[in-house]
Amino acid sequence: MTKVRRQPVAISIPDRRDAALTLGPALLVFAFGFLSPLINLAIESLKEFTPGRVGSVENAAATVQNYYELANQAFASVLLTTFWIGGVAAIIGQLVAFPLAYFIVRRISPRMRTLTLGFLITLVLSSVLIKTYAIELTFGSVGIFRPFLLTLGLSPNSREYINIVVIAGLVHSIIPVATLTLIGAMQSIDPRLLDAAQSLGAPGWKAHLSITLPLSFPALISSTLVSLTFAISAFVIPMVLGRGRVLFMSNVIYTRFSDIANYPSGAAISLVMLAVALAVVAVITFAQARRVSR
Amino acid sequence: MLHDMTRRRFLGSAAAAGIAGTMTGFARSAAAGSGNLTAVEWGGDVVEAMKQIAADQNAATFNWVLHQGGAGAILPKIKAVWPNVDYDYVAGWEGSFNSMVKEDWLETINPADVPNLANIPEKIIIRDGKGNIKAVPRAVGGMYFGARTDTAPIAVKTIDDLLSPDLKGAICWPGPTQSMMLQIVALALHGGGSETNMEPGWKLMTELAKSGNIGRVAVTDIDFTNSLTSGETSVGFFAEPGWAAVAKNFPVTRFTKDSNFKAFLYQSGFGVLKNRPSTKATLDFVNFAISSDMNSLYAKVAGEAPLNSKAVTPDNLKHLSFTSDEFSSFVYVPDYNVVLEQQDAWSKRWEQDIAPLL
Repeated sequence: MTKVRRQPVAISIPDRRDAALTLGPALLVFAFGFLSPLINLAIESLKEFTPGRVGSVENAAATVQNYYELANQAFASVLLTTFWIGGVAAIIGQLVAFPLAYFIVRRISPRMRTLTLGFLITLVLSSVLIKTYAIELTFGSVGIFRPFLLTLGLSPNSREYINIVVIAGLVHSIIPVATLTLIGAMQSIDPRLLDAAQSLGAPGWKAHLSITLPLSFPALISSTLVSLTFAISAFVIPMVLGRGRVLFMSNVIYTRFSDIANYPSGAAISLVMLAVALAVVAVITFAQARRVSR
Repeated sequence: MLHDMTRRRFLGSAAAAGIAGTMTGFARSAAAGSGNLTAVEWGGDVVEAMKQIAADQNAATFNWVLHQGGAGAILPKIKAVWPNVDYDYVAGWEGSFNSMVKEDWLETINPADVPNLANIPEKIIIRDGKGNIKAVPRAVGGMYFGARTDTAPIAVKTIDDLLSPDLKGAICWPGPTQSMMLQIVALALHGGGSETNMEPGWKLMTELAKSGNIGRVAVTDIDFTNSLTSGETSVGFFAEPGWAAVAKNFPVTRFTKDSNFKAFLYQSGFGVLKNRPSTKATLDFVNFAISSDMNSLYAKVAGEAPLNSKAVTPDNLKHLSFTSDEFSSFVYVPDYNVVLEQQDAWSKRWEQDIAPLL
């Protein structure tokens, strides 16, 4: 098999001007809205904190202590909890959203589809706080399902149960976003491929596993990444449903910045969190790219 | 129509919008100078009390901003915009005021500008290192242990009872940034320590976390109120406004005059911020708010004991009124500067040693 060599494409001056004009506003917003605060955060993270003060003082000494003190088991445990609970919620979200998206695209009438899409968009736009308290009132320690949970032998006071409620809260918010993401991919799959496979004797489940799933795999990865990013950065959901006993990185960052005013430590944790999240996203994206290239 | 938009028309519209925005800014500044004040208050009954006080005068109108989380959570918001701060006064207590004094954010109060200060006990007034008055106290609140007596599984008599297996999941414990961790100072005092020797407190806290008795860690006032009123938990340590909210509908016992527990008293008051155009209007309102009548009204509605010596203490706040003997037996006044400087270390210790056990 001969490889096709890519030829470099010359960009004319008018093309460059057009590129600058079209990309310029976005780059400016990115530089001012994201990059400059990030640089500010990095500088803050390298300053010494004086206990009792608000943030770092003027001319504070430079230090890496804020990073060094994160090298402990407690911090690793919070990081692990964040990714573990967030990851489980993201995967459960895909398991529910994938068949739901297929059902919406292939099994219901256009009128019902419009209604369902409207419902999903309403769910995305509705307040996270309201949805979170709805789950608390239903599954919380004094929720209406409490007697049912007690008969199942689940103690609403146990750490395992609280973890499950936090996951439920995250999944509740992930499902509409993931479904809307997957609907686009489902619509681009030619339904005749599935019909052809089944007319050639493949059972329905096998036809889906060999056609629907592989063709929607890139969208599934994108949806998982969006869901994971949402889950690991969640703040209100672990705070309310976790009863102060489940700590996410966002809660620790909030405490550092807002409650004890230790900006340098908060900045260091934020940057570590950003680096770990980017690394996870990069690994998943790289693995997907390799799978496609093979 | 959008497709009719030319570059010239766009620039013209942008300029007009800019001028309109600037004029609005000037109008707001002028309004601020004329007595339109932005005040940071606690929510619930406290802001309700202040709204009733504000309704009794005509000199100032208010934009109310509420504290979110502990009173210290306002500090980063001020730091982020300093010196262009948006708040005329911030309601706070020793914990947040000491930080503000260190940052030099508060106006020095001249007693001549707030004549009603003459009726406030001299000892309780917060001053800077040079002796300048930096905040105006309005009431005394307390932070202490208590229990909802109709749902508590056992009658709690000492701090050691908090470890009883009967209290599984029944304790609502303040989060690490609530009450400046005086709850752990209380445990330290029980174990023979203090705010300068917290090891006995951390030891007891570890046992409490391991016991499984903490059902909720309250990170906001409303967390505490919801947890107690819903019956999720029955025993806790919190500030008086939280207990008062629960006591409106349920029987509550506050362990304020019990030698087995220590109560912490704090003053709540007004910190007037520098660099504002309406300092005089703010001081006039503060003076009005601490007058005997308004201080009585505040105490009745907010659930904190009045500090104006001529104000009336409501019957339902007798648990906050101490004779000098009672004060020495039941009340502990920590060194708030030590407490403030230890917040960072204590918060990290909570994350490392306590949070994994919950």
